[in-house]
Amino acid sequence: MRKNLPKFFFNFVCFLVYVFLLAPIVVVLLSSLTTTEYIVFPPKGLTLRWYTELIEHPEFMQSFTLSIIVAFGTAAISTAIGTLASIAVVRRQFKGKTAIVQLVGSPLLIPSVVFGVALLQFYSWIGLAASPLALILGHIILTVPFVMRLVVASLVGFDRSIEQAALNLGAGPIKVFYQITLPIIKSGVIAGAIFAFITSFDDLTVALFIVSTDVVTLPVRIYTYMQYQYDPIITSVSSIMILFTVILMLVIERILGVGKVFSSKN
Amino acid sequence: MQAGIGTEHDLLLQQKKKNLNRKRVDTWLLLIPTLGIFIFFFLLPLFFLFITSFKTFDASTGIGNEWTLQNYIKFMSDPFYLGVVWRTVKIALLTTLITIIISYPVAFQISRSKGRARNYLTLLVLSPLLISMVIRCYGWVILLNNNGVVNNTLLKLGWIDQPLTLLYTELGVVIGMVHVLFPYMVLSIMGSLEKIDHSVIRASQNLGASSFRTFFSILLPLTLPGVFAGSVMVFSLSVSSFVTPAILGGPQVKVMSYLTYEQVAVMLNWPYGGAIGFLLILIATITIIAYSKILARSEKGVAIQ
Repeated sequence: MRKNLPKFFFNFVCFLVYVFLLAPIVVVLLSSLTTTEYIVFPPKGLTLRWYTELIEHPEFMQSFTLSIIVAFGTAAISTAIGTLASIAVVRRQFKGKTAIVQLVGSPLLIPSVVFGVALLQFYSWIGLAASPLALILGHIILTVPFVMRLVVASLVGFDRSIEQAALNLGAGPIKVFYQITLPIIKSGVIAGAIFAFITSFDDLTVALFIVSTDVVTLPVRIYTYMQYQYDPIITSVSSIMILFTVILMLVIERILGVGKVFSSKN
Repeated sequence: MQAGIGTEHDLLLQQKKKNLNRKRVDTWLLLIPTLGIFIFFFLLPLFFLFITSFKTFDASTGIGNEWTLQNYIKFMSDPFYLGVVWRTVKIALLTTLITIIISYPVAFQISRSKGRARNYLTLLVLSPLLISMVIRCYGWVILLNNNGVVNNTLLKLGWIDQPLTLLYTELGVVIGMVHVLFPYMVLSIMGSLEKIDHSVIRASQNLGASSFRTFFSILLPLTLPGVFAGSVMVFSLSVSSFVTPAILGGPQVKVMSYLTYEQVAVMLNWPYGGAIGFLLILIATITIIAYSKILARSEKGVAIQ
């Protein structure tokens, strides 16, 4: 009994932290069902009215589509180039390696606001207007550091004798990469791609500077909408976004096991 | 005969050299895509903004033609702006401290669990990371409101007579920030907890140490590197974060990132916005270097133990 008391207390503390973690998400989900004209929690009555009312706001759907396109583009490109660069960094000796590693890691230290301002100024000088490409380029900078961290981690413990064996048996370097290297570092690469997708999909700070009136990502759309209005439309949009993420994660979990993918981070 | 060996040797050397050259070429091929994008869309823009920060302000074009140090001098000599710097650092320190305290038990619980439970707990902890930051902050707006859940509950319990102002205060920003950055700390602490050999803990318990003692003399020292690594990450992300202070603090709780945004987007004063931005980079970098230096020293201490 005496031994169980601290354990009970410990579990209770953990439970409180989990409540804290889920609270804002649950609140958004539930208050999207309110019948009132304003946001209230707990919701008064239950209705799906705020979801049907979204039909009158096609701009949210447009933004959602744009965000998905940008996030996919970012994830694909930054995973590809990040993986290549990781291979060079882990396996090759070359001059200026430290400088390059620091350069590629520095977006984690440079506040996104400053980067956003700089990018906006640069884009207006070279005449690159707000477009999915302009957003993707900015997001690649934000996500490559994560991709490289994860891929480098999976490359470090790599037993290279397997590759050597394949090479000795006559496989070309490209075949070795696709059939040996990639499958072994797969978990790192996939975790990197997921991270890149989420970071891009979630980014408000950099996108806030790049967007124009026609090209608006979903986080920016939500942010600007809630500056002026406080109605449950936002909670229903947010709920759809949450459900989308949950479904995406469940699918990935089914295929790979999220726990596995993310525990490879360390 | 000797000549023969010589040529064979030369041939080998040549081949080695050729291999090395080929390797050098494809090293750069591997690096060029990333490096190119980073030079063009990261270094150059920042460099231009840096130059802009030394220009005068022009009301019609934003950026004037004259060179000046006034932007930096203005910021560093005004108590209002220095107050903003202090607030930014204070919020980051509080966030880091609270995150350590609440992450530790959770990281411990997950590292002790197995199989399914472990997967679900990991997913639960990472879930804030997966769901849009804007939405999470929005959830906190609903919770911390004057007639939000937190205030209503406290009022009903009779703990307070009047609703507390939580939204658009430093406390509100810290709460949101802890929520946003929590997963980074948990992952970091979990990383070092997993390296611990559990027999060490059992040994300590078998020798009669209390859970309290085991924690402070065994577990905590062994996991300090993870705690430190997590702290650096949380602190740096917190100093430079924009979304949380913008939504939960707004103009009432100005931090440096918000000030940068405001100068550029609202005042259209690019040079001054740029100068504030670079001071923010400077502060973030200095604190992180100082922090890492201290940490590196104490990490050595841990290793010796």
